[in-house]
Amino acid sequence: MAKRVVVDPVTRIEGHLRLEVVVDENTHTVKDAISSATMWRGIEVILQGRDPRDAWAFAQRICGVCTTIHALASVRAVEDALDIQIPKNANYIRNIMLGTLYVHDHVVHFYHLHALDWVSPVEALKADPVKTAELQNYVLKKYGKIAEFGKDYTGLKAYPRRFPQATVAYFKDVQFKIKKIVESGQLGIFAPADWWDHPDYKKLPPEVHLMAIAHYLEMLDLQREFVIPHVVFGGKNPHPHYLVGGMNCSISMDDGNAPVNAARLGLVQTSVELQLDAVNYFYLIDLLAIADIYLNKHNWFYGGGLAKERVLDFGEFPDEPYKDFSKTGDYWNKILYHANGVVHNFKEGVEKAKYEPFNKDSLQYIAEYVQHSFYHYREGDGKALHPWMGETIPAPEDVPPTPWKFLDPSKKYSYAKTPVYKGLTHEVGPLARYIVTYVAVKQGHVKPTFVDEMVVKQIDMVSEMLGLPPEKWMLSTVGRTVARGLEAQLGANMSSYFLKKLYDNIKAGDTQVANNEKFDPSTWGSGIKKGVGMTAAPRGALSHWIVIDGITIKNYQAIVPSTWNVAPRIKNEHGEQRAAYEAAMLDTEVKVVKEPLEILRTIHSFDPCLACATHIYNTKGEEITSFNVNSACAV
Amino acid sequence: MGKTFWESFKEAGFSRREFLKFATYITGLMGLAPSMVPQVVEALEKKEKPVAIWLHGLECTGCTESFIRSNAPYATDLIIDVISLEYDETLPAASGIMYEQNGKMVRRGLIGHLDKIVEEYKGKYILLYEGGVPLGNDGRYCIVAGRPYVEDVVELAKHAAALISVGTCSSWGGIQAARPNPTHSVPVSDVVKKPIIKIPGCPPIPEVITGTILHIALFGIPPLDDQGRPKQFYGNRIHDTCYRRPFFNAGQFVEKPDDDAAKKGWCLYKIGCRGPTTYASCGNLRWFGGISYPIQSGAPCIGCADKNFWDKGPFFDRLKGIVLPNVEINADKVGVAAAGVTAAALAAHAVAAGIRHMNKKDDEH
Repeated sequence: MAKRVVVDPVTRIEGHLRLEVVVDENTHTVKDAISSATMWRGIEVILQGRDPRDAWAFAQRICGVCTTIHALASVRAVEDALDIQIPKNANYIRNIMLGTLYVHDHVVHFYHLHALDWVSPVEALKADPVKTAELQNYVLKKYGKIAEFGKDYTGLKAYPRRFPQATVAYFKDVQFKIKKIVESGQLGIFAPADWWDHPDYKKLPPEVHLMAIAHYLEMLDLQREFVIPHVVFGGKNPHPHYLVGGMNCSISMDDGNAPVNAARLGLVQTSVELQLDAVNYFYLIDLLAIADIYLNKHNWFYGGGLAKERVLDFGEFPDEPYKDFSKTGDYWNKILYHANGVVHNFKEGVEKAKYEPFNKDSLQYIAEYVQHSFYHYREGDGKALHPWMGETIPAPEDVPPTPWKFLDPSKKYSYAKTPVYKGLTHEVGPLARYIVTYVAVKQGHVKPTFVDEMVVKQIDMVSEMLGLPPEKWMLSTVGRTVARGLEAQLGANMSSYFLKKLYDNIKAGDTQVANNEKFDPSTWGSGIKKGVGMTAAPRGALSHWIVIDGITIKNYQAIVPSTWNVAPRIKNEHGEQRAAYEAAMLDTEVKVVKEPLEILRTIHSFDPCLACATHIYNTKGEEITSFNVNSACAV
Repeated sequence: MGKTFWESFKEAGFSRREFLKFATYITGLMGLAPSMVPQVVEALEKKEKPVAIWLHGLECTGCTESFIRSNAPYATDLIIDVISLEYDETLPAASGIMYEQNGKMVRRGLIGHLDKIVEEYKGKYILLYEGGVPLGNDGRYCIVAGRPYVEDVVELAKHAAALISVGTCSSWGGIQAARPNPTHSVPVSDVVKKPIIKIPGCPPIPEVITGTILHIALFGIPPLDDQGRPKQFYGNRIHDTCYRRPFFNAGQFVEKPDDDAAKKGWCLYKIGCRGPTTYASCGNLRWFGGISYPIQSGAPCIGCADKNFWDKGPFFDRLKGIVLPNVEINADKVGVAAAGVTAAALAAHAVAAGIRHMNKKDDEH
């Protein structure tokens, strides 16, 4: 018989997410699944009428976890609208900050937002410290080859400075500390104690639990040091400062008061070296050890969902400054990471998968539905609207009265809209990017850069280590988590690669970090200026759309990765469709209905980020403008 | 139940000497005189690990992210040895679970644990808030475990020993409360009529969050200004402790981002820096153990710890009413009058100063 269970609040995410699953208790299969974004903040409406040069600060507050990504998308959108090309140094610095974000966000996701779906402090108590030390050596040997892709481009990194400790005494002391916490009865973040009774925590040997919990603690202390480039270039983290036209951090080798000089770059250098060590020797090793056991020992291939059918991304890391996105589309000529595209049917393998690139001409195919979202369209909720013609009229009367028992999926049930590309929902995220890049290169659609080649080699090496073809291991909860880890290595490489380019460019005599020709709004001219800023955000494809009227923002919208994934279901000419979270939950087995750990594991593999459910409308619920207005993110 | 810090240290195998070293270290961290060390030691020996509950409303989780960036003390030390974080939505292993039984919804997992903790530690727990509180549409712009967030905000406050608003959103309403405030969001202090310690900032400096929690865990409520902010962290304007202050005094200003003056690290006042009106520790404590703060990285401060700062833009517009360097004596008067406690006083002085200087056009400077 089927039982319905609610997971709310879903923890270890950003923002507020509610899940409901209907599980057949005999077969453990999921019969229905609901994903609902339960918060809305209205940042886009708040942005209207403000100075476009300030937009980054507002947009950045969409999310404090992937902090900086919305600031980056925002300055890119404003620069696209105002025809501003940023200097080389600013491009390099922004890319270092983005590479840094990949590392930080992905590491914190794996250890602090996801690990406790796989490992347990209670199981760690059963570990033998001697065997744990042996295990640490064993996994470094078994999976250590992956570290060869993590490269120090600066040539300044002396040796692997941070390396996992494989001593018995270390694991003994960590275990002793965990024991004290458990025995004290004050479990803190590990409470309640009975959470750990779930049978899945027995899937891994106790030694893996102890090793991973030790690294959970180590990485919690270490993660702050990964983001030091944000503090040097942007003044703080979370929420470093950005600038339309470049960056604020002027470079001068003549002055100790300068934001950037050799001493300041030294701080960045040390941090970037640490990023490489943490990803190469901790993150990827722990990740592959857990993935191997789950896939090969327990045959746990659940959670692929929509990734099997369709994935999407916009591509990233312009090697040199580009002209724009929406006019010439020069961005796509300059990027190193060719994840810009759509792939259908990867489940049939790389040869049979269908690829199409994403570029300037693709922008017209993005649209959003509100069939099951807490909003209305004037012409009826059946059809999707393109962002440039979208509307967001809230439907407060459709938010069910509280307290909620269960949501009714036949009605509206989420603050997220449902974005589509060519009428279809798509999964976005690191897994999507790895699939797109892999297919694009293997099928010969792009001339691969060194970054694309790295992605392909990483995938091929992991396939070999796991003894599984890419479509088998990648299209799963485990694969989504592994792809993110591999992308963290890509991020660390980008930090290092662009730091080297920054050094070389400064050495060549160029210290400019901002193009300030259009700093004064009086230089912008009157009239309407439209722009879009796209980026491959840590959680997937992100786009910010801006309309500037004279010197103020007329309209602003963000279509955010988690919106693509968390969205409610829709029905159109292609039939009934689910977005990625619901599709992945339907593709997951649930053993204990009253503690659906597998559902959490699968949803966490997307790294949910819900705070961006930010549709535009005014307080009276009237449509503010007929031009553009929607945006959804719910995540 | 809870153990004292000294007991925790002993059991973890630390020596008395190491314990005393820790006590001395945190005494310095909290800005207390060395003569206070014995009292810190006594507090550590006698106090149980306080239970903390951290609620999340309309927010971006940036304050939690800042919290875990702390290294003095490390966030790990804080959540494992100093407090017991029994409810939170970012770090905990467990999620909230609900299902129907005999026609009623059973609350299990993390929310079942929350119910238990609140009962068991009635009147004893520390309650932290992150995020604004939306009141629009009957509070249904933020629904947690099927209930409007505002209900938890009010209900859990009733039996809390201490309340802390972490960040600008919970302290002042924050970004969602910026014009036109579509969700009708308010700060926690609008719906909870109890004294609340406010730690504003978007986000606050990591060590300001952990330092305040540590102070409460060891000594109780820290000395506060009349807005509820810990004086040790909000007693000075950024302008007063800014390493670029000498350039302000000397009349040396950046005119445009990345101009020659920007490369020399001159004062950012003319491109909108909010340092002169913002009370925070960016100038003295700085970020990440002193590495930088926005001004040091060349970015004008946007005043993120300041009430309603979002609506005081455009951020590149020069602050009005700030007395400029050629009349430095008056500028200092403004600082002295306001530094004591009140931003209201500052505002009044700023207005007065502004009136006094209405004859002078800003552009003259």
